[in-house]
Amino acid sequence: MKRAISAVVVGLTVVLTAGCAGNAGVATSSSGPVRGGMITYAADREPTCLDPHNSGDMPQTYVARQYLDSLVSETAGGRVVPWLATGWTISPDGLTYDFTLKQGVKFTDGVPFDAAAVVANFHQILDPATQSSTDLLYLDSYFDQAIALSNHAVRIRLKRPYSPLLTALSQAFFGMESPRAMARGLAANCESPVGTGPFKVVQWNHERDVQLVRNDGYDSAPANARHAGPAYLDGITWKFLKDNTSRYGALGSGEADLIFNVPPEDEELARADQSITLQSFVHSGSPFSLDLNTRSPIFSDIRVRRAFVHAADAKEAVQSAYAGVFPYEGNILSSGTPDYDRHWHETLPYDPVAANRLLDQAGWTHRDAEGYRTKAGRELSVRLPYNADSAETPPADLTILQDVQAMEKRVGIRVVLDARDEASMNAVKGDPRAYDLLGNYWNSPTPEVMYIRFSKATLDVGNGENTPFTWDKGLDDTLLRASATTDPATQKRLYQAAQGILAAKAWSMPMYPIQTRLAVSKRLKDVWIEVSEGEPVLSDAYLSAGG
Amino acid sequence: MNGSVRLRVLRRLAEAVLLLLVVGTIVFFLEHLVPGDPARAILGGASAHPSPQALAAVRHEYGFDRPLLAQYGSFLAGLLRLDFGESYTLKQSVLSAIGGQLGSTLALTLTALGIAWVLSVVSTLAGAGRNGWWARIGAGVEVIAAALPQFWLGVVLLLVFAVRLHWLPVIGTGATGLVLPAFTLGIPLAGFLGQVTRDEFDAKLKQPFVLSARARGMSEAGVRARHVLRHAALPGITLSGWGLGALISGAVIAEVVFARQGIGQLLVTAVNSQDLPLVIGITFVVALVYVVANLLTDLAYVAVDPRLRTTIGASKA
Repeated sequence: MKRAISAVVVGLTVVLTAGCAGNAGVATSSSGPVRGGMITYAADREPTCLDPHNSGDMPQTYVARQYLDSLVSETAGGRVVPWLATGWTISPDGLTYDFTLKQGVKFTDGVPFDAAAVVANFHQILDPATQSSTDLLYLDSYFDQAIALSNHAVRIRLKRPYSPLLTALSQAFFGMESPRAMARGLAANCESPVGTGPFKVVQWNHERDVQLVRNDGYDSAPANARHAGPAYLDGITWKFLKDNTSRYGALGSGEADLIFNVPPEDEELARADQSITLQSFVHSGSPFSLDLNTRSPIFSDIRVRRAFVHAADAKEAVQSAYAGVFPYEGNILSSGTPDYDRHWHETLPYDPVAANRLLDQAGWTHRDAEGYRTKAGRELSVRLPYNADSAETPPADLTILQDVQAMEKRVGIRVVLDARDEASMNAVKGDPRAYDLLGNYWNSPTPEVMYIRFSKATLDVGNGENTPFTWDKGLDDTLLRASATTDPATQKRLYQAAQGILAAKAWSMPMYPIQTRLAVSKRLKDVWIEVSEGEPVLSDAYLSAGG
Repeated sequence: MNGSVRLRVLRRLAEAVLLLLVVGTIVFFLEHLVPGDPARAILGGASAHPSPQALAAVRHEYGFDRPLLAQYGSFLAGLLRLDFGESYTLKQSVLSAIGGQLGSTLALTLTALGIAWVLSVVSTLAGAGRNGWWARIGAGVEVIAAALPQFWLGVVLLLVFAVRLHWLPVIGTGATGLVLPAFTLGIPLAGFLGQVTRDEFDAKLKQPFVLSARARGMSEAGVRARHVLRHAALPGITLSGWGLGALISGAVIAEVVFARQGIGQLLVTAVNSQDLPLVIGITFVVALVYVVANLLTDLAYVAVDPRLRTTIGASKA
């Protein structure tokens, strides 16, 4: 899932400093994991609902990973391994998935986890009243029904083959919740969702923190966890520290043990700090990009789109704005995505000569007094609305936009940067007359994200998520064929062909991949980042005695 | 409190009700002028990708498809019942959302007001009406303090006293956690209060009653603290009514920097996501604080200035 525009830094920074040396209850054995201790995690954004079935924003998955288990888990290599489902079989036609469920698992409210619970979860996720934006593009058009075959066997029937299903289900957005808790209704469930996970929600103090304590009965860790059984930590204070200075400051003073998203300007300082370690994870999916609206009179011409990308020098803009903290990514997929093809990394490199030639060919041959190109008396001017909130468009992102604006001016394209508040940004989404360029990204564990972003199906949903407002028969067919096969080699060939098609279309100018960036105190061991959505995993973490 | 004062309070309350209705009306129409779609806010805001069908269903459910005047009518009816409805984004009632945050903001703003008064009184007593560099420095410091941007001051206080010196917590929630945010809001207000109090103090020092007090052999410190200050405090008290309201609406800066709970943060989130019920609820609370603060200001006036105890009711009621 994703959050439009806000792109930039969905980094995750976990930092634990020596300042917590006084933590009560930490055992003093000198080697191996020790049980006990509370930690404070500082996040940069607060979710609007703790139940990740509702909405579908990144901060929800980060915290939900601590109290919800999913059916399956994804490994660093992109493999799917058992979690609450101990095994599964897929029918040859790719339409039927039979899951065997782990036995003896209970939700933290005492309700047993069984096939009926799984069915209830899919029911809630797909219910329009739940307002899940994740299901809409991942499940809705494929999902037929979930059936309880026995107490611990569930069948999922699909309307059409969908090979990314398991990978999609590994996200915390599809975590399993207690049917009894869900029955309380969305409002109550937003405040205190109940899962089978390693921690449980005690209380959500809005605008401040979420209090989590260990689930002592936990015995359903995923196959790729570092240990089975209950978490080592007694609990987590999941704090919301929106201000960069105070978040990094809380780490320095020892009041936070881990912080999410080290501000890029503090990156160097953090690297030099011996008391913390930095962890970063490049999200798979679609990188932060400027999408070109093909319904705009200007960008309907592919020559102008290509000229725009040739002239922008996106690589230099990213490198100068993010000082090497974020790498440049020129492919429609981020490098960590399965079947990523390096060949399409930079298909339209910085080339002002080519840009000028293309614009001449497209008929934008005259210049006005300011040096901008004109055609039939009309100026070559494009609108780029962006969110004025600095949490959504951080200073470095604005620098990138301004750099692009300056570079485009050199070839005679005026870029109008249009700062807007969130409400009027929402109005822009989905309105092809409201923009020529729009920032977008989509974090996803599967290359199928190309279908989510650029298919006819998404365009037909009409929610503005197909930002370029276009589709291509060849691309759709390629991606649907990839969905329909379970053969990895065929998938790879098709997904790589799709990347090539998208590179040629110039519907989107990719810039940099979204990252999860954690700074972890040296005293806090075994924090890791899972790969489906870059969620921080704290169930294996422990406070070392020596620190 | 005598009868006329009670009458005056009643009149103030009637004014307040009228004021709140006007405020609610203005906010209602302003929010509808902002481009954007509240149905999107309800369906998850910027992070969501609702389908047109889902949007249409929500528009119908909440009545956004009805004429604006009809919506205004139900809105007014809700107001009269003191029913602010449910927040679009938080999935809880507006009153409980505000109730969860208000205590923290009031603690912060009242502490900041207290700090502002202590600082300005100390500065006035020490420097006002005296000649030489000490008075000039005092006046200069007040001007600078009044001009300090709160967001800058907050970050500087944070970096110096919490991050560098470790004297105070960065994100503490208890009494120690209140110190830095309260000073962040209190110092600029102290500058304002100090300026008006000092001017008034200088003027009152030249009054005949000061001369007569001195003639009775009262000490200089006694004259300043017991007689002149009482007079000089009046404009500051007037300013405090406004100050408390300004502190509430400006609290968001300290709340964000020091990660405190509070209605300031809630308001910013609500405005950004076009959460109309929440915006109106918080605007109401802020307006209510202004009203109550002005009422208290009037009462404080009476307490400080004995002359008003006999005249205020007669002349104004």
